[in-house]
Amino acid sequence: MLDTSAVHAGALVGIGLRGPHLVELPRRRPALDFVEVHAENYMDFGPAFDRLMDVRRDYPVSLHGVGLSLGSADGLDARHLARFRDLIARIDPILVSEHLAWCIAGGVYLNDLLPLPYTEEALDLVARNVARAQEALGRRLLVENPSRYLNFAHSPIPEAEFLGALVVRTGCAILCDINNIVVSAHNVGEDASAYLEKLPRAAVQEIHLAGHSVQSIDGRTILIDDHGSPVSDEVWRLYARARQTFGAVPSLIERDRNLPPLDELLAEADRARVDHALAA
Amino acid sequence: MLSLLEIQTAFAGALLYDGAADLGDWLRDDGIAATARIDIYRNNMQASLSAALGEMFPVIRRLVGDGFFAYATHEFVSQHPPVSPCVADYGAGFADFLSAFAPCCELPYLPDVARFERLLHDAARCADAPPLDASALAGIDASDAGRLVFTLQPSHGYLCSPWPVTAIWRVNQDGRDGAVDLQGGGVLVEVCRPDGIVEFRELPPADFAFRAALAGAATFADALVAASDRDAAFDVAAALAELLADRAITGVRLME
Repeated sequence: MLDTSAVHAGALVGIGLRGPHLVELPRRRPALDFVEVHAENYMDFGPAFDRLMDVRRDYPVSLHGVGLSLGSADGLDARHLARFRDLIARIDPILVSEHLAWCIAGGVYLNDLLPLPYTEEALDLVARNVARAQEALGRRLLVENPSRYLNFAHSPIPEAEFLGALVVRTGCAILCDINNIVVSAHNVGEDASAYLEKLPRAAVQEIHLAGHSVQSIDGRTILIDDHGSPVSDEVWRLYARARQTFGAVPSLIERDRNLPPLDELLAEADRARVDHALAA
Repeated sequence: MLSLLEIQTAFAGALLYDGAADLGDWLRDDGIAATARIDIYRNNMQASLSAALGEMFPVIRRLVGDGFFAYATHEFVSQHPPVSPCVADYGAGFADFLSAFAPCCELPYLPDVARFERLLHDAARCADAPPLDASALAGIDASDAGRLVFTLQPSHGYLCSPWPVTAIWRVNQDGRDGAVDLQGGGVLVEVCRPDGIVEFRELPPADFAFRAALAGAATFADALVAASDRDAAFDVAAALAELLADRAITGVRLME
């Protein structure tokens, strides 16, 4: 039997906190090192924000953006940056992260994390946007590798190298989403382990763990990053390698669809914690 | 070669308008057609926004059924995609869309039910503003009273409908059922959030006219006229005192 209290000194382990658990968490105060929320869900500064402030009394909070659209050729939305900055000022998060993706074009918000071709043009653009976001938010951003369902015909820079160049140019950090690596590697025909090794190690400051679903299209399987099921075995296996590669960085269990009772998420968080201790 | 801006413009168009013909050249097939790969992103976008609208408009979804709701929201998303990265902002135009959406013209009460649900949604998420202290009114010259413009709590919303919207809403809550007499009369309803709980109530015509006018940034004089038109005996002093007691007024200024 493992004494988990003794191994607690390892990596921080948290869960993605969603609306249905906002009230339950501060009431129960389970052992978690931090929680992470989607920043855009709290920008009304209304009752949901007030409940998050209750959580904030007991747990450090990480803010995970989904709408900055760091990859937008249009540039960043100044109004959204201002709301994000206000939220950071009030939450004082331990981490602030976003995605290597775009979701806004021509002023329309497409509510999905859309893929970029990895070209010099895109690198210049994303570096400019990340630098502007970091300046406006007053924080070092963690940029997350996206899940992908397609390849561009012209995309000469491997994604991990693209992220590495972004780190060099902007001083940003990396959020390594293990599930996204597994999903993308399967969908666009890459090697997940090799991808992990190519990321700039020292820049990886957080790990995401989540589940995916499997669909069949044209007789081929596609993995869908729907955060709708427990962390898969394949993701746990790659997580073991990631811990050896990146060391004790904060790890997060994410679930957005089919949200289970809080205890199920806590059990997955415990597994990440124990796995971490065994790897140490 | 296409620029990134051109790629994103074409990609967005493919997601919104169900087209991918122009994208084939710059996507790799890799055993699955590029169009099928684009479909995954489109499905993610459509399904997530439809789900978000379903949470904002649960009664509409129940009234029309999941299949029709998915169809209606798909059309809405294509015609009126979000402009804010905060999904809770989305859907403000859904009621107007429904009123012009021919396939549901046989349910003429639907748009007002949607307007009501939207008021509830907005009331549940907005920040409270500090209420105005009654003493702030004491220093105002009586001759200026007509030019006062009040600000009400952001949670306050007003709906005037010829349909029994609140009765329809009630019988369509989870676990409930029942019939509503559609000819049973309309409503003048106020939505608000006293003590943190979203509530709604029907108001007498003059009170409704007064409060709805103030919420719409009418001057005090115009709100008084609107109320008095409904009820010549409207007691404006009592109505104002009640608003202050409800902590509903958060600001006041003089119309220039």
